[in-house]
Amino acid sequence: MLAQQLFNGLVLGAVYALFALGFNLVFGVHKIMNLAHGAIFMVGAFVGLYSVTLGLPLWAAFLIAMVFTGLLSVMIDFVAFRPLRKTGDAEFAMLIASIGVEMILVNLALRASDARTLRFPFGIVPVEPFFLFGMRITPLQFVIAAVAVLCVTLLAFYLYRTSFGRQVRAVSSNERAAMLLGVEPRMIYLQTFFISGLLAGLAGVLIGLAFNSINFSMGEPYLLRGFVVLILGGLGSLRGAVVAGLALGIIQTLSVAYFPTGLTDIIVYSLLFAVLLVRPNGLFGDAVSDARVARR
Amino acid sequence: MINFFYAYQPLIDFFLLNAGFALSQYIVLRAGVFSIATVGIVSIGAYSAAIVMKSLGLSIWIAAPFSALVGLAVGLLLSVPLARLRGPYQAIATLAFVQIVAAVALYAEPLTGGALGMNDIPKQVSTLGLVFALAFVLYILGSLSRSRIGAIFDALRQDEAVAGSLGISISFHHALAFALSGAIAGLFGALQAGYIYSIEPHQYGFVMLTMTLAAVILGGRRSIWGPVVGAAIMTFLPEIARPLAENRLLLNGLLLVVVIIFLPRGVVDGLIALVRRRRTSAVTWPAESSKEVRT
Repeated sequence: MLAQQLFNGLVLGAVYALFALGFNLVFGVHKIMNLAHGAIFMVGAFVGLYSVTLGLPLWAAFLIAMVFTGLLSVMIDFVAFRPLRKTGDAEFAMLIASIGVEMILVNLALRASDARTLRFPFGIVPVEPFFLFGMRITPLQFVIAAVAVLCVTLLAFYLYRTSFGRQVRAVSSNERAAMLLGVEPRMIYLQTFFISGLLAGLAGVLIGLAFNSINFSMGEPYLLRGFVVLILGGLGSLRGAVVAGLALGIIQTLSVAYFPTGLTDIIVYSLLFAVLLVRPNGLFGDAVSDARVARR
Repeated sequence: MINFFYAYQPLIDFFLLNAGFALSQYIVLRAGVFSIATVGIVSIGAYSAAIVMKSLGLSIWIAAPFSALVGLAVGLLLSVPLARLRGPYQAIATLAFVQIVAAVALYAEPLTGGALGMNDIPKQVSTLGLVFALAFVLYILGSLSRSRIGAIFDALRQDEAVAGSLGISISFHHALAFALSGAIAGLFGALQAGYIYSIEPHQYGFVMLTMTLAAVILGGRRSIWGPVVGAAIMTFLPEIARPLAENRLLLNGLLLVVVIIFLPRGVVDGLIALVRRRRTSAVTWPAESSKEVRT
């Protein structure tokens, strides 16, 4: 029973990690807190669903949703964030702009779906579970876990083993210095926003499939969970986001299973509040990120 | 005129309530604190007023000041841990606070009625009462902003390090802003509870939070009229343009993006700055470059 709960928690946590990775990437590299990330996630689920409804196979739906949200994210950067970069209080202004974008996307989805909850057609993913070490595992859970492992590996390879990744890391530690050394920051913004949107869209389709319910407000709880992962794992830390995402998934599943319902949110957000106060740079944050969080 | 007033009375009442919430959000932003705890404290204020009014049978005249005190206390309590965090992290921490309040309101069913919320709250608040409350809050904030404290708040918002080096106690003034914001939020939470008969936890969530924040950004963060005008825009604009009412969120979102990019100080403060610059530039120096002083 406990092993089953732990496994379920890990799978849920894997999706949190996927969602938070994109959020964390943009925040860690550009210090932009993109509150529209939850809405991008929701759009991903919608696009995935519409592609399936049009008769496309599931893998194509994934692909279309990911490319769509990736481009959407780049577009949001162009329209809402780029004009604000040179202003004095960019951190604040960008946060506000992202709230505006979030409202726009949620409204569009609300109108497109008539505020209904949409579902994938039955049987799109095989539902017969198989049993492993006494645990009940659905094929979808297996897919989610595999996709998460694949994405994290690819992202780690990209960030730490390629020239592009080195440039991204250079911009994240000091954009001006990186620019003087010949890094083109616009290319970096393009890449980080595309990857961030792509991961959000992927997480959106996976969650849409896993819970088989897609509606305009589905992004909000994940955005809030994204904050928890961001703070818990430390800013811009890939490892931190993965560990914190998995931990959050396990905490949530266990508290749903063993505590009275309704206590989960209290536990999760109290944890966020406590971590912010006790260790504001998170579990894997370094001194640089500490200086960003705390006051002088 | 009278007919017009009756036709739009509910809308005007909503505007008055929204203006109160916006003022609570405004005072922390003005002091350079990026707290978005207002909605959480409004929720606490509404629930405490509803509980006092229903179970003890007290009138709104006692419940509203009581809620304001509760809000003040919560604001002060929040200011202690939040003083350690920098801007956006204060936003995250207070967002967590709002979520905790909503989750507790859902969970503590015997006290708050859980997901169904509290119903049959006696309606004791009229339009006139709301006008008085808003005028009272505006008077207090107006005199504060003309005093030394207003100048200190502006200095803190513009550059905390400079303000600190000039001998201003940062933590004291931030705590003051939190306390004021909490008291206003508690007061208007109570008025809302006494106005709409029933309250439930989901009412005080992310949507209300973004709406309140948007009102302040639209109006402006410096003058006390900023949040009032912002709340007016947010409340009346979708009603004036009827076909837009269904796309209220879309409209507000677009407004927010456009205003923050092209008019970063908000409508009221932007206009004030424009008028001032006209006046000074006509007399003494040549037209300033379009680069704004950072706010």
